[in-house]
Amino acid sequence: MNPITCRLGGVMVLLTAFLVGPWTVVRESIAVAPSEPNSPQKTGDRAGAASPAPDLPGMPYVYTKWKQYTTKDGLPNDHIFAVKVDGDRVWVGTEDGLACLDKRTSKIQTWGEEQGLPWRAVGAIDVHPKTGDVWLGLFGGGLARFSGGRFDHWHQLNSGLVNDVVYGVCVENDNIWAATTAGASRYNPVTGEWSIFTEKNAPMEEIWNYGCCYADGLVYLGVWGSGVLEYNIERGTWKDYLDPDGEMEIDLYRDDGIVHVITTGVSYVEKTLWVTTYFGASRYDGRHWRGYFAHESGLPSDFNNAVIGRSANEAWFSTDKGLGVLADFPTDTWVTYTTDHTTHKGKAVVQQGTDVLMVIDTPPNLPHNYVLWVDFDGDDAWVGTSKGLGHAIGRGYYPGLRRPKDALGKNN
Amino acid sequence: MKSKGLMFCMLPGVLVWFGLNPTTLPAAAEEETTNEPDRADQADIEKLLEVIDVDPYEVPPLVLRRDHNYARSAVDVEPFRHVTPFREHFLEQLEYTGPGRAIPEPRDLKTVKIGFIGPIMSTVSVATGGKSHEEALGIAMLRGAQLAIEQANETGGYPERAIPFELVISNDNGLWGASGNEIIKLAYKDKVWAILGTIDGANSHIAIRVALKAEIVMMNSGDTDPTFIETNIPWVFRCIGDDRQMSYLLVDYLYRKLNYTRIGIIRGSNRYGRFGVREILDGARRLGHPIILEMAYQVGGEDFSLQLERLQASNLEAIVHWGNAVEGALIVNQMRAMGMNHPYYACDRCVSNEFLAIAGDNAEGVVCGYPWNPKRQDEDLEVFQKVFRQRFGVEPDTYSAHGYDGMSMLIWAIKTAGLNRAKIRDVLAHRARPHKGVTGVIPLSACLDDLGEVFLARVEDGQWKFYSRQDLDIPQGTIAPRDRVSRKTAEASGE
Repeated sequence: MNPITCRLGGVMVLLTAFLVGPWTVVRESIAVAPSEPNSPQKTGDRAGAASPAPDLPGMPYVYTKWKQYTTKDGLPNDHIFAVKVDGDRVWVGTEDGLACLDKRTSKIQTWGEEQGLPWRAVGAIDVHPKTGDVWLGLFGGGLARFSGGRFDHWHQLNSGLVNDVVYGVCVENDNIWAATTAGASRYNPVTGEWSIFTEKNAPMEEIWNYGCCYADGLVYLGVWGSGVLEYNIERGTWKDYLDPDGEMEIDLYRDDGIVHVITTGVSYVEKTLWVTTYFGASRYDGRHWRGYFAHESGLPSDFNNAVIGRSANEAWFSTDKGLGVLADFPTDTWVTYTTDHTTHKGKAVVQQGTDVLMVIDTPPNLPHNYVLWVDFDGDDAWVGTSKGLGHAIGRGYYPGLRRPKDALGKNN
Repeated sequence: MKSKGLMFCMLPGVLVWFGLNPTTLPAAAEEETTNEPDRADQADIEKLLEVIDVDPYEVPPLVLRRDHNYARSAVDVEPFRHVTPFREHFLEQLEYTGPGRAIPEPRDLKTVKIGFIGPIMSTVSVATGGKSHEEALGIAMLRGAQLAIEQANETGGYPERAIPFELVISNDNGLWGASGNEIIKLAYKDKVWAILGTIDGANSHIAIRVALKAEIVMMNSGDTDPTFIETNIPWVFRCIGDDRQMSYLLVDYLYRKLNYTRIGIIRGSNRYGRFGVREILDGARRLGHPIILEMAYQVGGEDFSLQLERLQASNLEAIVHWGNAVEGALIVNQMRAMGMNHPYYACDRCVSNEFLAIAGDNAEGVVCGYPWNPKRQDEDLEVFQKVFRQRFGVEPDTYSAHGYDGMSMLIWAIKTAGLNRAKIRDVLAHRARPHKGVTGVIPLSACLDDLGEVFLARVEDGQWKFYSRQDLDIPQGTIAPRDRVSRKTAEASGE
């Protein structure tokens, strides 16, 4: 049984496991020692040694078992722009090539321009659920489809793609949406029809599209300088979400709308919209907005590269200073992951609002703290960073907070 | 001498300018600044280089600039000034936390490439559907950049390897999105070390989004759109005063000095016009005298009677124009022909010989905002103007001068940091002493924007004359000594 170091009123006290329960949430910093001695950063299929997640009532699930993948393991480049899980495969878009990791064997296959990839930088990936085709948003190279071992390529000069700098791609029914730096394009590979959305036919004050997602008949576009746009497929209508104060240098009220119009990511799940900006993040449930900033939450930084919602209550935020997970929206409970690569230790901080509940030492978790993308894989998650790919293994994962009756021995 | 440096030392909002030694700012700023590093500057740079020499996982412990006031905004023109905002942005310098500092320098280079992007070739204008109209500005900017490169090569080029600098030139053809492709090409194919550009606001925004992801410095010397820098990108710099600064001065002149109460606006119906007048609109409203009427015209048009008739009917005391020089001159001519003798104010793009030539006598008394004083007594400026004339056979304009300064800053940064994009960013962002350019001293704010002094230009006897705030004794609102969120706390504590 691991000792638990608990700081109460600034005094370090060594607790033993018999202190487990009956639990109330400890509102002090607790450091849970790793179960194994500190080890150097491990890569590939050698998982970092896991320390047990705190199986405490009122606590969120904490990912303590991670693997890291870098060029040493076969990735074509460590600068990971996009990750997409597709069954046993994990597609990885990098600054210099496409990779596919076979989860069963941990083997990585790669494609560069010499193997037919139309352009080296893969900035976005989605997989068509009907056909299995892999759609690639190429950062400066247009749109590509990888199917049957062949790349097909669409760009400004041979298609209705509005611009070759593609930041986001998503599948909507039979259509493929591409969020580009000069508008959004929609392509139907069945009919061959293209649609272009710019300031001419959509409420884009600016046309600099960044992210897109689809769910429940709605396409959401994160538009840098124009907030979030919602496109209703059935009606063919647009709705915009802007920062109500209309000012760049302030956010007047936190919960009155998106926190800023320089939008970088959108994710819509369970009728809930998650939004990221370089100034903070937002959540919208169709009636109420909630803004998040680093100084009053578990967000590691206000500089958010992307967001992905797991549910209406859980979202993962990719920031320039670590990975912020809002694990339980109703209680504002966060888990923030960072790795200190000088000590080869990872850290998971559990907090509610600004109150730190636990600081858990783990083996290295993130390959790098500059996080660019996350995708879920059942209970697991894959994390793209600017220096490698991380695999968070969620054995025993549970959503929200651990209920008292579930505690003791049911986790992990 | 009216230098930007004199203004700089009085700014309460930029006291933490120094990346490594904030407390040394006043002494350093008061003395005449040159680009030759003195002993203290050199020591700071050496220390900076030591600090940023890190592995891919380490974030160097750089002291970040902390401004107490965004863009030197007076209290009475701050947005929603009666409410404490939940969050105030752009006050703390952004970090770069990625692994780029550990990327090794490449071998076997024959030149050190620096990118240039600007509107230098004629194409289709998005605004008009006709011929584009910014080539003259882009070519002027290119000449300034070329001169800086040539001078650097005359003195040895990149000294570490004794190889020359090479300017890789891209056309920014004005179509939205094209600049993105060009930046991709510069960053990934040409493999430049930093980029200077561009002028059009939309293209500049598109370019910096690419620069952020590709992790390369973008130095802007020609886009005065305030929102350009309001994007929180740690790779973006601007070395020219923006429309916000110029508008603040113009608003103060119109409302605090001349006591106008009824002003109308006529502007181009493009992004430059739309965003350029925002601070005029906001400032006028916040000072209690909202703009009476704002009229937009098609860029490239020659008949403005529709707009002017409505302005004429609005009982105005003065008219502000925001657009290009040609339209600005045609408008003032048409106004006078219609019997409209309103005082005429305009943006910096109208400060040109072209404006004077077209407007003729009607130009007399026109006042414009301007980002620098090209007539000030300054040895470096005089040398630059002389060499520029010899090299290109024309007078350097504002785009040439700022292009020269921006490229000089990039060259200095590359020489100092070496061939590493992240370190080039670091030395620009954290240099203790502000760059002294031919346009004046360029003190950067926390969001890496030029906060140097701006001026008013007035046509007198057919020539542009330049005046500082002090020259014209223009009042200014109070600039609060602390940020808005903590201001209330200070008031409550009786400070």
